[in-house]
Amino acid sequence: MLDVFTLFLFNIIVYNIPLLYGTTGEIMIEKSGSLNLGVEGTMAIGAVVGYLAGAKTDSLLVAVLVSFIASGLVGMLFSFLTVTLQANQNVTGLTITTFGVAFYYFIGNALSNSAGGWPSLNGTRLDAQSQSLEIPLLSKIPFFGKAIFSHGILVYLGIVIAVLMWFYFKKTVPGLKLRAIGENPAAADSLGVNVALYKYTHIIIGSGIMGIGGLYMGLNMGGTFEGSNCWINGYGWISIALVIFANWSPAKALLGTLVFGFFNTLRVQNAALAYAFPNALGWLLKIPSHFFSALPFIITLIVLIISSLSSKSRSGEPQAIGRNYYREDR
Amino acid sequence: MRRYHLVRRADSQLKRTLIYYAAGILISLAIGAVILACLEINPFEYYGRMFTIGLIGNRYGYKSIEGLLKIFVPLLITSLALSLSFKMRFWNIGGEGEFLIGAICASCIAFNSTGMPNFVTVILMCIAAMLSSGIIGIAIAALKVKFNTNETLMTLMINYIMLYVIRYLGDTKAPWNFFLRADSERPIFGSFPESAVMKGIPLGPFTLLWSVLISIILTVIVYVYLKYTKQGYEISVVGDSSATAKYAGMGVGKIVLRTMFISSAMIGLAAALTVSAAGTISDTITNDVGWTGIIVAWLSKLSVPAVFVTAVLISILQYGCQAAATQYPAIDINYADLLQGIILFSVLVADFAANFKIVRKEDAKNA
Repeated sequence: MLDVFTLFLFNIIVYNIPLLYGTTGEIMIEKSGSLNLGVEGTMAIGAVVGYLAGAKTDSLLVAVLVSFIASGLVGMLFSFLTVTLQANQNVTGLTITTFGVAFYYFIGNALSNSAGGWPSLNGTRLDAQSQSLEIPLLSKIPFFGKAIFSHGILVYLGIVIAVLMWFYFKKTVPGLKLRAIGENPAAADSLGVNVALYKYTHIIIGSGIMGIGGLYMGLNMGGTFEGSNCWINGYGWISIALVIFANWSPAKALLGTLVFGFFNTLRVQNAALAYAFPNALGWLLKIPSHFFSALPFIITLIVLIISSLSSKSRSGEPQAIGRNYYREDR
Repeated sequence: MRRYHLVRRADSQLKRTLIYYAAGILISLAIGAVILACLEINPFEYYGRMFTIGLIGNRYGYKSIEGLLKIFVPLLITSLALSLSFKMRFWNIGGEGEFLIGAICASCIAFNSTGMPNFVTVILMCIAAMLSSGIIGIAIAALKVKFNTNETLMTLMINYIMLYVIRYLGDTKAPWNFFLRADSERPIFGSFPESAVMKGIPLGPFTLLWSVLISIILTVIVYVYLKYTKQGYEISVVGDSSATAKYAGMGVGKIVLRTMFISSAMIGLAAALTVSAAGTISDTITNDVGWTGIIVAWLSKLSVPAVFVTAVLISILQYGCQAAATQYPAIDINYADLLQGIILFSVLVADFAANFKIVRKEDAKNA
């Protein structure tokens, strides 16, 4: 029975980490005043490119770097089109999603059909089994220890990124300038902040972070290519939803991903829980799994409505979001 | 100091825009050809097969046209609907969700229509779909008008909620669930009774479905509506500046609600025509028109004749990839999506080049 509980906690963390990467990446982009709807595609590109590089070189570090760079390049394309060329952000973002997911299938199918086949992770250091890193002492705590402190290094990296980003926004001068651009780019520009440079940098870094999240999902698929259902499987869209749920704060994103991860885990494990605790949790079986899948989106819908009803002053939403900044329109 | 800067061109010439767009599309096809060459496929042969959508050397060529039209009709109507709301700067990216709710409601009628006349059933399906999609659209528009709720994200959420609703219907075996086949143990969506399947005009072996005619008539109506009616004019004023519209004494809220209702009801209509033509429903019935429609609307700069042409071209691209996949198993429909993405990226660049010019600082001062 305790095993079920530990596994449940363990899986919450496994399921929430890609969301954390996607969400923190998107928060960084949105704080610069850009709405990037291309999270799904950016993650897909980072996943497939990083995976292949990792499988080729047998190095997790290379895989992470390559997926960061590949997704960063996608971010560069987004910034080039929207910041320099003033293209519409919604359309550009959606096209990145179409393009990225198609890229994933195209590369994956082409490789699977080729003579060499899709590279598997068996025997490499990237294999999900060998990734786990048990933190000494802490992982020995009964109940929680194994569930929280025995994950792969990418789990801890995701948490570190979220904490660093929170610090960056709140306590540093560049973070302050970035938030100023997101609120009012014309005012920031008149104070001498290089708006275009800031937007480029943060969109690229944010996209790169998403790419690592995609890589993490790809590495958890047991080394097989999913030809019918993309590895990312809607997590990019949930990440966009989570940004709203977290009110544009990386610290709250940690909490929010736990909440969304909880429902996601419930979807996968409701049967196991219901059998382990038939009296207390037997009703879980009656709820269709589709409901848990839709729940992140339903919650976000409600959060969107409630936050628009309440006063705007406490919302973390950047005021200039979604609008391009063209100096001569001032 | 920056020595160069961007200036928006004062005039926008149609000829220049078209040349830039054509150049963008050609460059995209060239990039696509390089990708094909990397996979050791002759790009000329592949493109040749793709653009002729398997018509040449095919005894059953009319089947290709029918298949193409099945992709084209929903894409055309959805793109028209989306350009209506985009013209108003209302970011309805919930085409997928609005399409799905319409498809579900139309199927509710279709599955229970045994014995009814075909004409009546199809009309009832259209009305049910238009009402259900329209209500979703008007609800989101009302939240936007009343509380300024972000419509981009709201419509995005609707897409996924509806996707899981239809997956639930498709996966749940229960006595109430008339969507599924009764004679199958595994949950599979059933086929519509004959009364709910779209008919058409037979032209030899080829059947021209009514839905094709409806979509073309609708294109003309939308063109006239936007160009020659007061309501169409109001939409473009609200899109240019809602403040101007307010000063001119227009009821902006009312215009937004009305246009969003029309826009999403049209998507519902597209859904009803699609399920009726397919004779069944599935969770992939949208064929991503909600997303592709956005690309089509944007590529055409929200102009109705351009939407028609672009929808034809994108349908050929998509259906052509399907048709060519029989010869080239390594290249599937994802190549169409990939190419579509590259085309839009280059057209965005072309659009910029057609509307802005780079001038040197000194020149700008003299001008």
